[in-house]
Amino acid sequence: MLHEFKYLAPRSVAELCSALSDHRDDGKILAGGTDLIPNIRNGLMKPAFVMDAKRLPEAARLAWSEKDGLSMGTAVTINDLLRSKETRELFPVLCVCAHELASHQVRNRATVAGNVVNASPCSDMAPALLCLGARAVLRSAGGERTVPFGEFFAGVKKTVLKPGEFLERILVPAASRGARGSYLKLKRIAGHDLGIVGVLMVRHGDSIRFAVSSAAPTPVLVESVSAKDSPDEAARKVLAAVSPISDVRGTKEYREHMIGVYVRRLLAEVK
Amino acid sequence: MKIKLTVNGLGYERDCAEHRTLLRFIREDLGLTGTKEGCGMGECGACTVILDGRAVNACMVLAVEADGSVISTIEGEAKGQSLSDIQAAFERNHAVQCGFCTPGMVMSVKELLAHDPKPTESAIKEAVEGNFCRCTGYTQIVEAVLDLTGRPEAKGELRHV
Repeated sequence: MLHEFKYLAPRSVAELCSALSDHRDDGKILAGGTDLIPNIRNGLMKPAFVMDAKRLPEAARLAWSEKDGLSMGTAVTINDLLRSKETRELFPVLCVCAHELASHQVRNRATVAGNVVNASPCSDMAPALLCLGARAVLRSAGGERTVPFGEFFAGVKKTVLKPGEFLERILVPAASRGARGSYLKLKRIAGHDLGIVGVLMVRHGDSIRFAVSSAAPTPVLVESVSAKDSPDEAARKVLAAVSPISDVRGTKEYREHMIGVYVRRLLAEVK
Repeated sequence: MKIKLTVNGLGYERDCAEHRTLLRFIREDLGLTGTKEGCGMGECGACTVILDGRAVNACMVLAVEADGSVISTIEGEAKGQSLSDIQAAFERNHAVQCGFCTPGMVMSVKELLAHDPKPTESAIKEAVEGNFCRCTGYTQIVEAVLDLTGRPEAKGELRHV
């Protein structure tokens, strides 16, 4: 049996902002629920109020324009991205990461916004959003502000979101259109699992970017690798940017070793 | 909170505690116990139902979130004594042993075939990746689907397998 809470389903952004403002300490936003509901079940979270963001008018909107790039509402699911022709064609990097996230049923429900707001070091969408230069639009009763994902994560399960704020939209700039990449995620089993470590490499024009999951308190963006670097030099630069620990899924040494393996493999693969 | 929803073509209107999962609601309030609880945390897929056309883990959905939606569960498959095509294919191919994962497995396959009537082997594997079976080893399950739909031309493999 779940811990008891009150369920709110605001029909407008103003209504949600007002509820968030009233429940800064005892409220939680419900988007896909694939993290929140297990967390409540396991006693890790005990909100008095659960606010469903899926009934907001623009929440499920996934829209592309030359001017604004790709805009994802707070309730856009992982499978919404994978099913969107524009996302697949213009931003394939989002799809390579989305495809590695959990299982099909979870992807039908889990949202991109939830995957970053939870700020797990093993977030699969964060590497793509970091490499594509995406930004988070945060809204509260007091207004909105935009934060690049490079500044969004503040620590393990911590973000710069303030009490009373929610992640209303994610914006991927039109300039990142056409960036190509591949995401290698090491798992304990061949099926769906949280990552032991994940490395994304993205090429766009002359630029190379790496992002690493499960290897530091937050997902990490590495912009220091250049096309002239040898594979060993590139691996050294990526390793210098992370600080993996030993935990239930793997040791620090194993993670470091596999990051090096993946960086070399990706440099050969992503041409 | 009062909720209204359609399950296997029948309309229901019930009062439901706001913290109740859709899984508990289906099993205990509606008495449809074909849908199983395995892990209760979205890992095993035993609770898979189709919610507005998409396979979801009912253990991670609140019943109140499903207000106004259309749901299919395993009970909607057989018509009287006659099995659905998917159920019959599972039976023919010995894709059932203890049967605990089968309701969820059938629902995942049903969603797949609704969108992709002739799936590749890799698409089948991906569709049931979130459904754990500890008896048959999956081979017969994949064969059951291929037996039903026919083997497509293109063959692929699951990535990272």
